[in-house]
Amino acid sequence: MPEVKLTLNGGEHIVDAPVGISLASLLRERLGFTGTKIACNEGHCGACTVQIDGVPTLSCITLAHSVRGDVTTIEGLRDHPLIDAFVRADAVQCGFCTPGQVVSAAALVAANPEPTVDEIRHQMAGNICRCGTYPRIEEAILHWRD
Amino acid sequence: MELLRPSSLAELDGGLAIHGGTEVVPLLRDGILEADRLVDIRGIVPRGIDGNVIGAGTTLAELEASTAIPDALREACTLAASPQLRNMSSLGGNLLQSTRCWYWRLGYPCRLHRVGEGWGDRCHAREGEHREHAIFANDFCASAHPSDIAAALLALGARIRTTKRELPLEELYRLPDEANRDIVTLDPGELILELELPQVEASTYLKAMDRKRWSFPQVGVAAARRGGEIRIALAGVAPIPWLLGADGLDGATPLPRTAWKIAVAKALVARAAARLQRP
Amino acid sequence: MARLIRTEKEVEGRFEDVWLVVEEDPLTQWPAGPLAVVGRDATRQDAPERVRGEARFTADIQLPGMLHTAVLRSPYAHARVRRIDFTKALALPGVRAALGPGEAKGLEEEAGFAGAAVAAVAADTFGKARAALAAVDIEWEELEVVLDPEEAVEREMFTAPSARYERGDFERALSEADVVVEGTYRTSVVLHNSMETHQAVCEWVGDTLNVYISTQYIWGVRDAVSKELGISGDKVRVVCEFMGGGFGSKNGPDEYTFVAAELARRTGRPVRCALTRREENTSAGNRNATLQKLTVGAKSDGTIVALGGDFINAIGWSGWSAMTEGPMQMLYACDNVRTVRHGAKINTPPMKAFRAPGFVEGTFGLECLIDELAAKLELDPLELRKRNYADSNDGKPFSSKNLMQCYELAQKHWDRRDEVRARSTDTWKHGVGMASQIWFGGGGPPSYAWIRATSDGRFTVVTAMQDIGTGTRTAMAMIAAEELGVPLDRVDVMLGDSARGPYATLSAGSSTTPSVGPAVRAAAADAKRQILEIAAQRYDVEERVLDIKDGLVVSADGNVSTPLEALLEILGDAQILGKGARGPNPAGMSVLTFGVQVAEVAVDIETGEIRVERVAAAHDVGRIINALGARSQVEGGIIQGIGHTLSEQRLLDPETGRILTTTLDAYRMPTIADVPEIVCEFVDAPDEHLTNLGSKGLGEPPIVPLAAAIANAIRDATGADVHELPISREEMLRALDAAKKKEKRGAPAAV
Repeated sequence: MPEVKLTLNGGEHIVDAPVGISLASLLRERLGFTGTKIACNEGHCGACTVQIDGVPTLSCITLAHSVRGDVTTIEGLRDHPLIDAFVRADAVQCGFCTPGQVVSAAALVAANPEPTVDEIRHQMAGNICRCGTYPRIEEAILHWRD
Repeated sequence: MELLRPSSLAELDGGLAIHGGTEVVPLLRDGILEADRLVDIRGIVPRGIDGNVIGAGTTLAELEASTAIPDALREACTLAASPQLRNMSSLGGNLLQSTRCWYWRLGYPCRLHRVGEGWGDRCHAREGEHREHAIFANDFCASAHPSDIAAALLALGARIRTTKRELPLEELYRLPDEANRDIVTLDPGELILELELPQVEASTYLKAMDRKRWSFPQVGVAAARRGGEIRIALAGVAPIPWLLGADGLDGATPLPRTAWKIAVAKALVARAAARLQRP
Repeated sequence: MARLIRTEKEVEGRFEDVWLVVEEDPLTQWPAGPLAVVGRDATRQDAPERVRGEARFTADIQLPGMLHTAVLRSPYAHARVRRIDFTKALALPGVRAALGPGEAKGLEEEAGFAGAAVAAVAADTFGKARAALAAVDIEWEELEVVLDPEEAVEREMFTAPSARYERGDFERALSEADVVVEGTYRTSVVLHNSMETHQAVCEWVGDTLNVYISTQYIWGVRDAVSKELGISGDKVRVVCEFMGGGFGSKNGPDEYTFVAAELARRTGRPVRCALTRREENTSAGNRNATLQKLTVGAKSDGTIVALGGDFINAIGWSGWSAMTEGPMQMLYACDNVRTVRHGAKINTPPMKAFRAPGFVEGTFGLECLIDELAAKLELDPLELRKRNYADSNDGKPFSSKNLMQCYELAQKHWDRRDEVRARSTDTWKHGVGMASQIWFGGGGPPSYAWIRATSDGRFTVVTAMQDIGTGTRTAMAMIAAEELGVPLDRVDVMLGDSARGPYATLSAGSSTTPSVGPAVRAAAADAKRQILEIAAQRYDVEERVLDIKDGLVVSADGNVSTPLEALLEILGDAQILGKGARGPNPAGMSVLTFGVQVAEVAVDIETGEIRVERVAAAHDVGRIINALGARSQVEGGIIQGIGHTLSEQRLLDPETGRILTTTLDAYRMPTIADVPEIVCEFVDAPDEHLTNLGSKGLGEPPIVPLAAAIANAIRDATGADVHELPISREEMLRALDAAKKKEKRGAPAAV
């Protein structure tokens, strides 16, 4: 099987996998990085969001073999100040979408450390939360460095 | 399945082209597209903005962030899809996306799907559930083209350069018919490389959605003024991006549950035109 | 002491008379208002692992040798499997076993809706299992399809007997009314679409079945599986430490659990059976559509004298018929009420409980009707509601009711009407609307909890409940900490494992906190009593002068003031075990939750766009346990309600009955961009008749009144009556058009 070479959270991984496997499946099933969630598996909900070279990307519709940049998952963001900001703001209910929310938010604040409410709403609109934690997520991002 | 990553046009040798993958990957999974060979064309399609020329490999997010492109295109990119999809999707891929018609997406044997050796012989939406479908040219197929960006570029009068030729954007699209079910005129293997935009004095894109973000257009209206003339194109109203003719929306042929789109389109067309009048 | 009572048990508005063994609840309630821990803001104890992606959901469980399942589902809305042959499928590489109709509960020969499960295949990977489905040789016999609920009612195709209710004399009262308003209201199917799909992993270890499942009721799964498989309940261990949302759709095991259990038995390997997102949208249950023909008669002073409603619940192939007429019977003081409710059996996917089932739908109809009455009487809608305030529920006293205080809290938001309307332009019309909320949420017995105190001065609450994301884990820790007199961070909660604690109720019906919370408090009180017994001996003082405050053992005279851990150190490996049980509900009383929401909207009258700009909510759910978590619940309910009010639309092909909106680009749930400003207040007054806490549930109340509040705000803004959910642009433009025509005929409209 063709090999996938991945730079993931700063480490190198080499995995044999069939062409067609998604990055999300590779992360979860082959590498055991289950912080990245699959909720729709077709690019509509954002639960599977990872960063590739810092850019939020839907790993469930990204072919693992096509990845060229450095991949950052929630496992690589566990020391990010956003984690505590989410906890403090109660920006989590069931928590299934939350890792994806944090990955998107981390890219947002990296590019724009003081986003406005409108900017947050624009850049976070691809991460669906069925529990409706959005106001808390907004608060967490507004106060992520506090 | 194999995945090739050519670094020059000369290395191209058949296969299904894939760029951001946001359309191709789900369609492959659904069996609507089939391929033994995928060709990652990110290494060969130009990316970036150079004056009035835009590489087809430029992502929607990059366009959204650019101040060097006309308002209509930037606004269309801003209102398109979700942030992650805008990060992944290329301009060229966006122009070539398929309809969101649920019958088509679910593989109903409709006129745009192969059935055995031939093609489907009915439009399920016409007699079925079509409240998000077309109000123009919906006789043969009632699907609605979902590209905000195509409508913007159509209004802007964009030209595209492919691996074979140059053509105005309107010639990229064709209405499907009994003899030919395609909605684009590209030959097999032909890739869009660049787009060229003429100078316009003003332009804008307005979009009706049922969420504030992350929705395909119910109706999208792009307008551009050039030499005092206003050109208007619509998304979500016909099987292809729709350049509004002289009779405007009076030429619409709505289905029973799509008539509401005419009211929306009329209002947005008037607003877009009004916006272009402002200094 | 345990005692046997005959009592009415309520879950999600469904009542049954049952024999219950209950224990006395001798504790008196705490004083009202925020205490040391309870009533304050607390972040969730399990938030760090959820946010960091460390929480292990059912979807994350990978057992060695685990197989994956694909389920064969009917493409027809009604059909029978005539013949099925797995020979070719089983010959494919990696395919390990297959089940046909009747071989596991939930795999049926007769498929009553498109998406009904009939067979399943297990293979080494999900891809191989799915590929094998295509190789299953199956012959179908198509059967008659009925999709129209009214046709089903005409033909008496019901899921359950129709419910008829009358008090007083509706006809006579109506004939004596000064004003009569009638309206027909429709609500559409709403899909739960929890982010984690329905799924289970089953594994046999000896004669014990381990079930890892995304569920709202581990104990219920344990009982249902043991009953189905004919094995002892203790031979079924159900584990769900973290779960990705349920909203009512995961109250019990479904075909995926039984399929996984049977395939695991046949293959001797762990088996996962997980629904895909598309299956989630066709086969995992939904809030059923309703059709409501409503009538209200009133005196010219606004006194409501007659209320009547014909309700059809379009149930689908299976499910129960929720109490859509409930709000009409319970919300207002009206002596003459007549309702009929039918549950239409049609060939559409099954109904499942969805966050206040019946009452969400019924409140939309009733509260729109009440506003139309207010318009006709030219009365302030809030004033009309106050004039018809109910002091009892069909003769039964309320255990507590503070709806009037909710109205008072809402007054300042209601008073913004002129200011909001004044923002209107030629195209954007602004308005304010309100709706009241009534729903259950008192919980009930039984539920049990244990508390373990250890020599390090820490406490662990042990109970076989689950936290589905509502924050019940944290609420239980807060209750225990309050009673024990220790800081919150000294208390852990062990839950989500049926083999690791006593019975606790389901996470549905807004019942978890009011059911399990009192048991936790009782257990904490028991543990504290034992600690003070030891302290009295250790410090040689009378037990009655001792207390625990902020982690210190203190005596009334101040002579003893010792950190709890210093005392408990003497325990060594000995443990103190406190036990607690949920006592009975107050006999002869109606235990209900109340509230009101005020919505501000803007409507673009040319394009039909609706913007919900602000929602103010005031709810009465008794004592608030976690003020922060409570606000999150209200916000979540309102946001979910915005979805079914404006953008969520489950569509099916009228010819075949197949679901067309199976993906999340087509079934559109709100994003962060759709969220209005939300203001949230609570009455926060303990229900003095209800348990040792006086707390009711809050999971469901916030979603109940929202749609009607928005519809009423739309009427205030535009004069248009919307009678259908969702209020799509198509529906909004239709209503605006109808209002214009009405205006032409002379009736005033704001457009």
